[in-house]
Formats: sequence, C-alpha cells, structure tokens
Amino acid sequence: MSQRTSGCIPSDMTTSPFAVRMLGITKRFPGVVALDDVSLEVRRGEIHAICGENGAGKSTLMKILSGVYQPDAGVLEVDGRDTRFTGTRDAERAGIAIIHQELALVEDLPVAANVFLGRERRGPLGLLDDSSMTEECSSLFSQLDCAVDPGDRTGNLRVGDQQLVEIAKALSLDASIVVMDEPTSALTEVESTRLERTIQRLVAQGKTILYISHKMDEVFRLADRITVLRDGRHVKTVDTTATSPREITGWMVGRDIAGHDFHGSRPRGDKLLEVRRLSLPWPEHPRGYRLKEISFDLHAGEIVGIAGLMGAGRTELLEVLFGAGDDTWTGSIELRGRPVRFRHPREACEARVAMVTEDRKRLGLFPDLDVAGNVSLCALREALRNGLLSRTAEEQLAAGPVRDTGVKTPGLHATITGLSGGNQQKCIIGRWLLTKPEVLLLDDPTRGIDVGAKAELYTLIDGLCRQGLGVILTSSELPELLTLADRILVLAEGRLTAEFPRAEATEARIMEAATAG
Amino acid sequence: MTPPNDAHSRRSSEGSPAPQGNAAPRLRRTAWWGLRPAEWALVAAIVVAVLLTGIVDSNHSYFRLPWQSLTDILRNTALLGIFALGATVVIIAGGIDLSSGSMIALSGTIAATTMLALAPKEIMAFKPVGPAVVGVGVLAALLTGFLVGTLHTWLITAVRLPPFIATLATLVGLRSFARALCESCTLGVVGTKSAQINVSDPIFKAIRDNVWIPVAVFALLAVFTWLLLTRTVLGRHIHALGGNEQAARLAGIRTENVKWFAYCFGAMTAALAGLFYVANESVAAPVNQGRGHELNAIAAAVVGGCSLSGGVGTVPGTVLGAIFLRVVIDAVSKIIKTGADVYEGLIVGVVVVIAVTFSQLGALAKGGTRLLPGAIGLCAIPTLALLTGALAAMTAGRNGGIATGIGALFLLGLLRVWESRRSTT
Repeated sequence: MSQRTSGCIPSDMTTSPFAVRMLGITKRFPGVVALDDVSLEVRRGEIHAICGENGAGKSTLMKILSGVYQPDAGVLEVDGRDTRFTGTRDAERAGIAIIHQELALVEDLPVAANVFLGRERRGPLGLLDDSSMTEECSSLFSQLDCAVDPGDRTGNLRVGDQQLVEIAKALSLDASIVVMDEPTSALTEVESTRLERTIQRLVAQGKTILYISHKMDEVFRLADRITVLRDGRHVKTVDTTATSPREITGWMVGRDIAGHDFHGSRPRGDKLLEVRRLSLPWPEHPRGYRLKEISFDLHAGEIVGIAGLMGAGRTELLEVLFGAGDDTWTGSIELRGRPVRFRHPREACEARVAMVTEDRKRLGLFPDLDVAGNVSLCALREALRNGLLSRTAEEQLAAGPVRDTGVKTPGLHATITGLSGGNQQKCIIGRWLLTKPEVLLLDDPTRGIDVGAKAELYTLIDGLCRQGLGVILTSSELPELLTLADRILVLAEGRLTAEFPRAEATEARIMEAATAG
Repeated sequence: MTPPNDAHSRRSSEGSPAPQGNAAPRLRRTAWWGLRPAEWALVAAIVVAVLLTGIVDSNHSYFRLPWQSLTDILRNTALLGIFALGATVVIIAGGIDLSSGSMIALSGTIAATTMLALAPKEIMAFKPVGPAVVGVGVLAALLTGFLVGTLHTWLITAVRLPPFIATLATLVGLRSFARALCESCTLGVVGTKSAQINVSDPIFKAIRDNVWIPVAVFALLAVFTWLLLTRTVLGRHIHALGGNEQAARLAGIRTENVKWFAYCFGAMTAALAGLFYVANESVAAPVNQGRGHELNAIAAAVVGGCSLSGGVGTVPGTVLGAIFLRVVIDAVSKIIKTGADVYEGLIVGVVVVIAVTFSQLGALAKGGTRLLPGAIGLCAIPTLALLTGALAAMTAGRNGGIATGIGALFLLGLLRVWESRRSTT
C-alpha cells in the first residue's frame, strides 16, 4: 500500500489497519439526537460508502470527522491515534479533506486561487505568487487526468469541473482521507463516470475514500464496503460483494421497498397536448438551438417521461410549455386542440398547466411563508372573504392538498424549511393541485429526496394520473422513469432521438438514444 | 411486489375531498392584533425611554407640559411614519428605495410650483389660493410620486439596474431636478430666480396647526398598509416576491406588476409626506427639505423588524420603530437642550445598531456567537470606549467624558474576559 506521508502524522509509526475509527459517537442538537452511539471503522486505502436516507446522520457524522462539529460523546481515531478536532483546520492538518455537497468555491476567482484559498503562496516581497500556484494547480489536474485551466474563472466551469477543483484542493492539502458528500447529485452521466475514474486513481495513490451517496449503482460499482445509517443509528457495515442494492435500500428505510411498477393499468383519456416541430433558438451557442423540432402528444391519464443527459434540453422543454422561458420558440403547441403560446407562467396557470420546478429551494419554496402560505399561494383568491384574505379560509384551502399529498408536518403554521425534502416537494405539488391543473409538468421531482419519500411521491404521481391528469415527468434517474412512465421520450442535445413505449424501454436503449448524435 | 405500504393505503381513500381541518394539528396561533415578542420589546423600550427622559430631563417637560411634548412627538412620528410605511412595503418586496428624501423635496416643489403657476399673484402676496388650486397642487404631487415609482420600476425591471443603483440615481437626481424646477418656475412666473416658494394658504396652515391631521393620515395609512400586507392577495404576493423572486414568477405571479405597485407606493407615500413637510414649514424648499430622511425611514423599518433581504416585516413593527426613533431623538433634545439636532444622525445610527443587535441577543446569550471575538473584538473595545467617551465629553464636559470612557473600557473588557472564559470552558 503506497501510503503517503500526510501533514503531521508520521505514517511509519502507525500500525493500525484503520485510517479512521469512530467509536460510540453521539451528537445532539436542540430537540434531536442526530447521532446515537454510532461506530464506523474505515480501513486504509478502501472506498467506504455511507448510505442512509436524508436525516439519517451521514452528513453530521462526516462533519464530526472533518472538525465542523465536536461530538458530545465517543472517540475519534485517525491513523490509530486518539484525536480531537476543534475546527476544520485541525482535520485538514490530520489529512482529512471533505468535499461538500454544496461546493464551497468563490465563483469570481480563478481556479488556482480557489485551490489555494486561505493558503495562498507568497513570493519574496510577500506578494501573491500566482505563477507557482497556477503551475502547482495544473500539475494537480494532470495528476487527476483532466483538462481544467487553472486560470479560468471558477464560475464559468461546469458543475463537474468545479467538483474537480474541490478534489484538486483536497490533493493540494495532501489529504490521505477524502470525504465526498453526494458528489454526483449534480453531475451528468459522463461527468459521473469521469469522477469514478478519478476516485479509483486516488485509491491507487493510497488514499482512503469515504463516499456518501443515494445512488445504489454507483455505490455498488465503487465501494469496497458499505455502512448503512438510519435515524442516527448504525445499522450495518458489510462488504459490497456480500449484499445487494435491494438489501441496502431495505436497511436504509427499515422496510423492504420493492420496485413497484405503476404504469400499465391506467386508462388513457383524450389528447391534452400536441407539440409539433417545437424549436428554441440559442443564438450565443455554436449549436444554435436549445431544442430542435420536437413533436409529441400527451393524453389525459398518461405519464410521459423525458430522459436525457444534463444539458439535453429537458428543463428548457418544460419551460417553453409553461411559458417560463424565452418567448422565442417556433413550432406549435396545442392544448385541447387550441393553439397556445404562454408568455408568462400566469397564462399557463390560467390554462390549467402546472409546473413543479427542478430546484426546490431556489425555484419553488418561500422560506418566509409557513406551510399553509406555501401551499395556498397560487389559489389565494379562493381564500378571500368579503374581499380580504381570511386565515381560516386559507388554512381550510391548504389543509386539503396537505392531507391528500400526505405531507408530514407538525402543523400548517410550521416553517416550510423545517420539513424534509420529500415533504417540501409534496407541499409544492399540493400548491399546484389547488389550481386544478390538467397538465402537470414535473421537472426532476425527486432530486435530493430519500428513498422512502421517493416511493411516496411515485404513489402520489400515479394517483394523480389516475384522476385524469396528464403528466410530463423528467428525471435524472432512469429507473424512476421506467417505474412511472407510460412512454419515454429521449432528448439528446436538444433533439428528440427516440420514443419508447414502456414495454420496449430499457436503461440500455435509453442511454444509447441519450448519447446519440 | 409489495406496494409501499402505508403511503399506498392512505392514497386509496383519495379523490373524495374529505372535510378539512383535521389534516394537521395547529401550532401556536397569534390573534390578528397580536404583536410579536420583538414588537412588545419595542413597546417596552418606548415606555422606558419616555419615563427615563421625564426623570433625567432637568426641565421635566414631559411632566410639566405633557400635551405639548406629546403633540411634538406625534407630529414628527407621523411625518416619518408615512413614508416609513412606503419603505416597509418596498423592503418586504425585496427592494430598497433610497430616494424618498429627494421625493419629499420634489413633491413639495411640484405642489408649490403648480400653485404658483395657477395663482401667481396670491402666492406672491401670501394670500389664500383657494381649495381648488390646493387640490390640483396636491394631486400633481401625488401623481409625481406615481411617475417616480414607475420610473424606478422601469429602471429595475426593464433596464435591469439593481434597486440600490436605480434609487441612488434618483436620490441625487430628483433633488437636483426639484431645485432646477423651482428656480425656472419662479423665474418664469415671477421674473426672479428663487430656491424656495412660500406656501401660506390657510389649508396648509390648518394642517400645520392641527397635529391630528397628519396623525390621522398616518393612522389611516398604517391600517391600510397593514390590511394590504396581511389580508390581500397583493400583500401576500409582495411577501412572496421578497422571499424568493424566481419562485414567485414560476408560481404565476406577475412579479413586475407587484414591484410596480411597491415602488409606486414607496414614492407616493414620500410624496404625501412631502406635502406635510411643506405645510409644517410653510415653504417648499427643495435644497434641504427631507434631506437624508430616506435613511430614517429605512432605519424605522429595520428597527421594526424588516429584513433588508426581503420577505420579512410588519406594519406594527415599522410604526413602533418610527415611534421609538422619534422618542429617542426627542429624549436627546430634551436632555441636551441646545443644538441637539447635531446628534440626530448619531442617534439613528446607534438605535439601529442596538435594535438589530438586540434581536440577536438570544444567540449571543446562548453562547453560539461572541460580541467581541479575536483581534477585531480587542480593537473594538477601545474604539467603542473612545466613541462613548468623546460623546460624553461633548455633552457632559471633560471629566464626565473621561469617566465614561474609562467606565466603558472597563465594562467591555469584562465582557471580553467573560466571553473568552465561557468559550474555553
């Protein structure tokens, strides 16, 4: 094992086979026990995956490992030594680097400046030594075998490349243990594959990787061992070869969630939407278009899935249908036989088209309004009594969808940001149900939502469809489309490259079409 | 293939809209007239400030002349409060209006120049111009508010300037425009340039002499604004816009129109306040009228609990914030007696800092954050001690200043030591 000497720990003196041991870790926050007597042993040089639903305690555990939090009880050993971190700097010194889910980069600075942020190199006069940092930075990137220009403005990089900047930062810290918190949640398939290669390269260099992920296929491709957490407790640690994705997800949710196919028996109704030769120009891009000549139909009681890599135009297509994007598209959209051209989401609402947006926090939630306020927003007029809003009427209005969508909330007055991702998403779907939509556009509705809540959302979406809604669903996860959709359209670089009835769709065929062209 | 258990069985009963209300237990519910804890704290602070002033003031004018003191504070609060309500709406909508002080000057100038143009002889001779002319002048001023609000909205939504820049431009621009207008109108109508126009119509005099008119207008406007923000769809949309603009648009809210309303409301309340300033001073003087007042309005809103990042704020908060600000300013003028207006800006600044710090006191007490951390905290101790010492020296003489400075140094030092001991244990 080619162990690298890290920071201040002389590796020749350590005899422990474990890079990290956390024993009996307990962490309490006001009102909740985030971690309850959790133990985790990570062998040197392994890829150790940590799985669990949102709120299971994965991130808290990693924040303790990286010095962000101090545990209330328990022992932390790094390289066999009892350690106590009082801050992230201590953890960095001990050779632990964490790559957070939300990247912590200064977008306006060049890449090299971000890699050395807070540890800038200085020349003889005490001035910044940019050339040395840039040089070091490019050697780090070549070590990772990827082409990122250290001089580029970081904000101009794609998310996948920004992640590489964080990894380069970890390398420049000479970290021997790298923690990755859901690194692929915002990556395309291609970028994910590249990241997996990078991770394998890091392991070959003798690094230890802690990998947090929801995605079973990745975990099973990469990890040597898997630890499952649930509700702040340690459930199991197993060798990857001795288990199956289904067993892991079962442990994560505490019950067996079988893949359940919802499509098939839904009756198909009248044609709701007819899209013909829809194109959306993109003047400042060499390709020249975001969408090109897309045609498809949507019927009542039908779920049409849209597959495609990131940047294929899924969101843009839904935005055109909802009137939320640029009003420069050509082609025709007919809603129940009448041509429509929405110039503002308001017009789409009035025509009974609803859209649940991709990024809940940024595009969907109102953090200053409570649950009732978030749900009732689009149908507030119905809560007017004598021309003024009535809180009672508003609560009555919101209570319906809150109950129907199965939102788990301490009350209608609860703050929306206190709910879990799945319950927030149900609130937003509930908001749109109050507008009595006929067409429901769902843009990656289960992103960042844990497995149990996903299953609930699938049941919800299926139920809505059975009530006669026409649903267009995009997803970054193919199994989700295969579970829910009656038909699957595949976009690749703005063009429709395939349309499969559910019976003919397989992950392989969809990926083939999505990477075509 | 087992269906996902409980979620599924719950769904099976859907479709029939069951009676509402039992979906979720209610959390606490405040009555519609209920104030938040921070607002009750403001009420308490106002009472304490009034009592303290009554005792500390060597003339004891709060006890000897309660009526006069009350009307003084009420008049000033009403004038500030009227456009602070406008600032509140703009701030909750996620914007900022820096131009209200200049809008006050422009509004007065528009009203005066309109009356001058319609009745030059009467204005020049300090004679009544008649209700019709006054009415036209007032309408012209309010219309100007609407136009300025529209200009702001256009700059922000169509030209895509940040609200700070757009209203900074009108902050400097409108006052200059008002001066130019005043000079060219007096030159055109009377023949000589003048930087101010005297307004002595009995209607304006009546407003000046009867404090209840501005107070009633302020109260009505406060009730209107409160209803608007809490009980109308537009008000909810204002909160939504300030809380998350993109989400508001994607929820089908015409965000441009909501902004249009907010900035027009901001400018028109300033225009209304401008009319009262003209009445109060019997003159439209664009050079100095309302100068710097925009910051007082923003301060009142912030002291009252508005968040400058938008989405948060209440009318009762702003009303109490305006009262508190005026009470403290009045207290200082009662205690210092002469030249107190010099300290007005200082007071507003200190009140804003203390009020906002006060709202974070919970976090400070719990020990998550420190008031005097690290090297910055160490340097802040002499800075604050110097500031208080100098202030005391100017108001209470040299020895008082030195004593206060040393006392502050000692207290802050104690706080620092206490904080570091707490964080190490």
